[in-house]
Amino acid sequence: MILFDRVTKVYPNGQTALSGLNLHIEPKEFVTIVGSSGAGKSTLIKLLTREETHSSGKIIVGGLDYDTITAKDVPLVRRRIGVVFQDFKLLPNRRVGENVAFALEVSGARQREIKRAVPKMLTLVGLSAKQNMYPHELSGGERQRVAIARALIRQPKILIADEPTGNLDPGNAWQIIELLLKINRFGTTVLLTTHNKEIVNALKRRVITINRGRIIRDDEQGRYTLENPTTLKGATKGIATGVEAQN
Amino acid sequence: MLQFWRILHGGIRNFLRNAWLSTAATAVMTVTLIIVIVSFISSLALTATIKGVTDKIDVSIFLNNNTTPDQVAAFEAALKSSGNVASLMYVSPDQAVANYKNQNKDKPSLIQALDTAGNVLPSSIEVKAIDPKHLDAIEAVVSQQANQSLLDPTAPPSYTGGRKETIDRIVHFANFFKTAGLAASIVFVVISTLIIFNTIRMAIFTRRDEIEIMKLVGATKWFIRGPFIFEAALYGIIAAIVAVTFSYLVLLSSAPKVASYIDFGSTISFFQSYPFVILGGELLLGIIIGAVSSILAMSRYLKL
Ligand SMILES: Nc1ncnc2c1ncn2[C@@H]1O[C@H](COP(=O)(O)OP(=O)(O)OP(=O)(O)O)[C@@H](O)[C@H]1O
Ligand SMILES: [Mg+2]
Repeated sequence: MILFDRVTKVYPNGQTALSGLNLHIEPKEFVTIVGSSGAGKSTLIKLLTREETHSSGKIIVGGLDYDTITAKDVPLVRRRIGVVFQDFKLLPNRRVGENVAFALEVSGARQREIKRAVPKMLTLVGLSAKQNMYPHELSGGERQRVAIARALIRQPKILIADEPTGNLDPGNAWQIIELLLKINRFGTTVLLTTHNKEIVNALKRRVITINRGRIIRDDEQGRYTLENPTTLKGATKGIATGVEAQN
Repeated sequence: MLQFWRILHGGIRNFLRNAWLSTAATAVMTVTLIIVIVSFISSLALTATIKGVTDKIDVSIFLNNNTTPDQVAAFEAALKSSGNVASLMYVSPDQAVANYKNQNKDKPSLIQALDTAGNVLPSSIEVKAIDPKHLDAIEAVVSQQANQSLLDPTAPPSYTGGRKETIDRIVHFANFFKTAGLAASIVFVVISTLIIFNTIRMAIFTRRDEIEIMKLVGATKWFIRGPFIFEAALYGIIAAIVAVTFSYLVLLSSAPKVASYIDFGSTISFFQSYPFVILGGELLLGIIIGAVSSILAMSRYLKL
């Protein structure tokens, strides 16, 4: 499903974010990526969504070789992947239902199809009662569930979540993780990054640990191996710097 | 097609969302389009006025009423040979009477006077000169001894000479106004382009989060750009409708007041015969100004 072959990313300012990274993710896997701040997790995800282009190596996602993508194809690539962000990225002046519908409008779906699909998706994430509210009227956890609904509405094969619980309290964070697990059970490949030790350890799924742009651990049923564990509440940047100490 | 409606809808939504900026941009565009119309109308009217004054007959030679057609023909040939004759027209005595009555149909006393005098007016040759400023050659032909007997002794030939300067002044003045109108139109087109450019630039900045989100969920370049272009085109569309309506009403109400100075008759009839040509032209201009300035703004500030 996702294949990275010796992928290197050097930002224009000379910062190397990924160096010769190899990664293979099968369909329907649930993979968590951990690593200290600046390790290169978000960079990896931005390469997948084509927000950034890789400097060398090969990226193949769902059979599509990223070297063959032209600027015109980028929207199509993004429509095949659902993405969820730490800061939700909802449109503030559109209602919950409109935010979810938006992902379908962009890809040219018919109005009838949108009317049918949106309530179903909102029911799946448990927000059917809040369809007509605005994002600012929702809690953080609810907003993230709207974002997940939007990411899933096009039924992508892959769902990517970059620190989706980063701005949430433990209760809400768990709701989001449970939702991701549910989606994964339906057959969607899930790629999650997080700094949250408790979550990683409780998941008992594949964990990939990145440090300085390389994979240093890859465990089925992995655990959070970085020192300086973050509390559930304080899953913030700049704390998990334990890898160096460990090595 | 569906995407097109979504883009239009997005454009209208954006237009309404920053209503103040939209109104300001539309107002500037309206002023611009009014200036364009006014200068177009004045140009039409001034052209008609100029044509009116310069088409006037330059020389009228009144003839003895016992002049034979042969003599007239010979006289005409002589005049033509002067080299400064654009056109000639022989007006018979009956024709002269008819013309006179027609010109003075609202002055019955003058017509009555002519009737009393037995309805006699001299026949004449009306000459339109190629160069009305130098009528000497024509004058020379008229004053030739051989032709003197053909002339009406009571009515000497009339030359425009004295009027010429006034005509020149009118023509000069009219051309100046036409040029000024064109210049003002261009200046205002540039001003409204800049203002719309700036409005769209600000819209891009205030909506940059939204644009980023659109990109992330896979919106194409034109799905993101479309609403901005349509928003700017909408300024043009509204402005064109307001400008045409306004100008037409002003023209209708003010034309009679200035009719004695400027000939608006043909302009009004042009307006009335081709209202959609004028509206269409203004719409086209407004849409082009809007689209071009928003595309310029996006090429600078909306990197996709
Ligand atoms: N746009 C950019 N330009 C230059 N360097 C960048 C850019 N984005 C990230 N980097 C650098 O690349 C490295 C990896 O950054 P990345 O955002 O992938 O880290 P991360 O693992 O997601 O960190 P965090 O856990 O804090 O989110 C860092 O050193 C960062 O400074
Ligand atoms: Mg990150």
